[in-house]
Amino acid sequence: MKNIKYIALLFLSVLCFSCEEVVDVDLKTAPPRLVIDASIDWVKGTDGTTQKIKLTTTTGYFQNVIPVVSNATVFVTNSSNTVFTFTETPGTGEYICSDFQAVIGETYVLTVVHNGQTYTATEKMTAVPDITRTEQNNEGGFSNDEIEVKFFYNDNGQEDNFYLSKFETSRLPYPDYDVLDDKFFQGNEMFGLFTHEDFKPGDQLKISLLGISERYYNYMYILIGIAEGAGGGPFQTTPANVRGNIVNQTDKNNYALGYFRVSERTELIYTIQ
Amino acid sequence: MGFQTSEEKISLQQNLRKNISLESSTQNLEEIVITERKNIANIKKPEMSVNKLTIQEIKKMPAVMGETDILKSILQLPGVTNAGEGASGFNVRGGAADQNLILLDEALLYNSSHLFGFFSVFNSDAIKDLKLYKGGIPSRFGGRVSSVLDIYQKEGNSNEFHMNGGIGVISSRLLAEGPLEKGKGSFLVAGRSSYAHLFLKLTDNKNSAYFYDLNTKLSYKLNENNSLFLSGYFGRDVFDIGDQFNNVYGNAVLNLRWNHLYSEKLFSNLSMIYSDYYYGLKLDVAGLNWDSGIKNYNIKYDFKHYISDRYKMTYGLNAVYYDFNPGTVSPTGASSGINREQLDKKYALEPALYVDAEHEITDKLSINYGFRYSMFYRMGQQDMNIYANNEAVTFNPELQIYEKGKPIGTEHFGSGKTIASFDNLEPRLAVSYQLDDNQSIKASYNRMSQYIHLVSNTASPTPLDVWAPSDNFIKPQLLDQVALGYFHNDDYTLETEIYYKKVKNRIDYIDGADLIANKAIEQVILNGRSRSYGLEVLLRKNSGKLNGWISYTLSRSEQQTPGRTALETGINNGKWYSTGYDKTHNLAVTASYKLTEKWSFGSTFALQSGQPVTFPNGQYEYGGVIVPSYGARNEDRLPAYHHLDVSATYIPKPDKKKGWQGEWVFSIYNLYNRMNSASMTFRQNEDTGRNEAVRLSIFGFIPSVTYNFKF
Repeated sequence: MKNIKYIALLFLSVLCFSCEEVVDVDLKTAPPRLVIDASIDWVKGTDGTTQKIKLTTTTGYFQNVIPVVSNATVFVTNSSNTVFTFTETPGTGEYICSDFQAVIGETYVLTVVHNGQTYTATEKMTAVPDITRTEQNNEGGFSNDEIEVKFFYNDNGQEDNFYLSKFETSRLPYPDYDVLDDKFFQGNEMFGLFTHEDFKPGDQLKISLLGISERYYNYMYILIGIAEGAGGGPFQTTPANVRGNIVNQTDKNNYALGYFRVSERTELIYTIQ
Repeated sequence: MGFQTSEEKISLQQNLRKNISLESSTQNLEEIVITERKNIANIKKPEMSVNKLTIQEIKKMPAVMGETDILKSILQLPGVTNAGEGASGFNVRGGAADQNLILLDEALLYNSSHLFGFFSVFNSDAIKDLKLYKGGIPSRFGGRVSSVLDIYQKEGNSNEFHMNGGIGVISSRLLAEGPLEKGKGSFLVAGRSSYAHLFLKLTDNKNSAYFYDLNTKLSYKLNENNSLFLSGYFGRDVFDIGDQFNNVYGNAVLNLRWNHLYSEKLFSNLSMIYSDYYYGLKLDVAGLNWDSGIKNYNIKYDFKHYISDRYKMTYGLNAVYYDFNPGTVSPTGASSGINREQLDKKYALEPALYVDAEHEITDKLSINYGFRYSMFYRMGQQDMNIYANNEAVTFNPELQIYEKGKPIGTEHFGSGKTIASFDNLEPRLAVSYQLDDNQSIKASYNRMSQYIHLVSNTASPTPLDVWAPSDNFIKPQLLDQVALGYFHNDDYTLETEIYYKKVKNRIDYIDGADLIANKAIEQVILNGRSRSYGLEVLLRKNSGKLNGWISYTLSRSEQQTPGRTALETGINNGKWYSTGYDKTHNLAVTASYKLTEKWSFGSTFALQSGQPVTFPNGQYEYGGVIVPSYGARNEDRLPAYHHLDVSATYIPKPDKKKGWQGEWVFSIYNLYNRMNSASMTFRQNEDTGRNEAVRLSIFGFIPSVTYNFKF
């Protein structure tokens, strides 16, 4: 539904006398802030033992390199206090664990210690339904000439569910995310879709579907909006930093960005027909 | 006078009775020149912060794509801005767009723009004049805190049948008027429609966007003391994008008025008004149909009482019944996975009574004083959520963020049962003191309350925003405004004012609030406050070949939502921040020049500070995407906004006063093709993945031509 505002804006740019132009803007840069990208995904059909957490910082908006954070202490514990240690591949900011135990419904706690500050976050592993089928429509998009891929899954009518879908293709330099809840679909078949104007038969599209918590749904809902472009104009909401579930136990005001997510994930690779 | 002189010599020698029949004569008068002193600042009356525009003045201004626009014309007045080019609505003295009471022949309009803000819903042919009250608002008005835009439709010609119209690039207009039972009544019907979509169809473009509206006014004089009026308006916008997205919205209003003179000193007006705003959306991609709207029924009984030359009273009663439909969701077809759902309808009643006195105390000193007593009853039938500690929004002290509260139960209110009620006494006061024949100073104070709110967290409202009535969580907005002014009248008139206003209970939204189809708006809303202050200068030249005005406003408009307790951060860390329509400097120049009877020229120029925006102060990577990071709200500004528009009007046969009369209007919007920023977007380039800032400009250089006719 959030897309309606983008549609409105898109519509204006298509039909009216508007024009878009890339311009130079002087921007201020705030002091660097820790960013924790801790996405524990248990891909269906795997044992889920190998997991990765990435630590970086914020940097100036037009900088080309994202600074990584090395030499931090990173571990996750489960409800029976088993500790899963994440060890850095030196100099990369990537912390790897190879003995993780993934259990649906289990509550995990993340701890990161860096520069004398201790950050923690708690999340429960959420299950995801299977992708039941896919559909391709060659008359999709606004101009009815784009290739559109739809995938379907069945919502669990017994509870309120939240989903994250991720699409990866070589046609886009970054993944495309979408969140959905079952507000209007309780217990029904639901779908996600992706279109790209440059799709050609033979292109591959990786589709992932994750079961997520309501808090993460809210987080990603805002984050996707910010990443797609914000910054003023009549149909824009005031952008703000989106806060995840990570708490700085040493100094609450010196917060970290990012999120600690623990999800079951189903994925498939679709080849454009 | 009027008869030929008759001369006859009589010798009076006896009684004589003689009838002299005088022959009537044709008067050969010199042309009477009535010197029009329009728009002269009112020196004597306490009325201040009011701007009047007649349709003739508005039509002299150049218009974008040739379509005369009433809302664009008021942007040329001091204290009036909007949230950027193409934004819908307008902002008065730093107030929000939903704080304007927009009345068309007394009927409430909820949406004043066509095509997302490119055109106003008012067909200029059917409009007589408008009055914008920015402060010192008389007590007969209430329900919105910032301003009143009081627009009157033209009455039809009661002697002869006439038609007029215009053919433009974007839209065309046609109006018919004439007598109903000659001398007793009249009718006026006007229609307007855009037709750019027809060209799109020709080019095999499946997208379509158009609007149309219909105005009507009937008046009938029953006898010397009684008249009846019927006013109507119906307008719709229609969008169709690739058969996937279909969107229809608009207003409809109907007003039946009865004017009655009880005596030479007591006038009355009884109005029964129906207003309706509808918003419908069909989204084939999601298989979703969406309908929402607001209906209201309004009854008003107003009296004007001339007690003496120096003492006049107005008083009356008013009650509005609201029926809100926040949304009906339904599937588009059998294959859609959408479940049908009706979001709780909301009902409310807003009665009010008012008294106003206009009192000329001495020749120099006049006072207006009065009050409005307004009440608001939010009524069932509805289930209302109950929250722990009555907090629908909770604060997470660990993460220092606001989150949606979880209802702990619901309470059922039956049909007509009061869920919440409010009442407010709104005093109004205005004083004028005349320094001499040409100068006066004036001061005013007014308190206003507003019980219904547009739930919108964008800088300018969008048509799909819904209105919400006050309840236990959304408190009525309360405004206090003071203004002080100096007025000077001569060949030039000068009106200067300073004002300060503050609004209690201005709603604000927690970060990332999702307002669309939200069943529990209270979970994302906090009550804050707003304030604004400024200086306005309006200098007009009213006579001669060159007419026009210069208006300048220096102002500030801010809002703040502090934490409810010492532990909470509040929104934007509880700090004051600029509203999305705060413009420090706002200069507007409007000029018209009559060269000959055939040719006249018009021009408008605007120069404004760029609107406040929030630019990123950094970036980070999450999940493989680049995310801009932000600091405090609205701390940056778009580049300054300016543009110049010009128009020329050519009347081929200016002497022709009967039969077909035509005129050509040539206009150029944005003469020097200034690329004003409507928005600045920060995003990753779709091909390279690199970060970029993208400026969106809406209107470049746009020439247009319109042909107007009447007969």
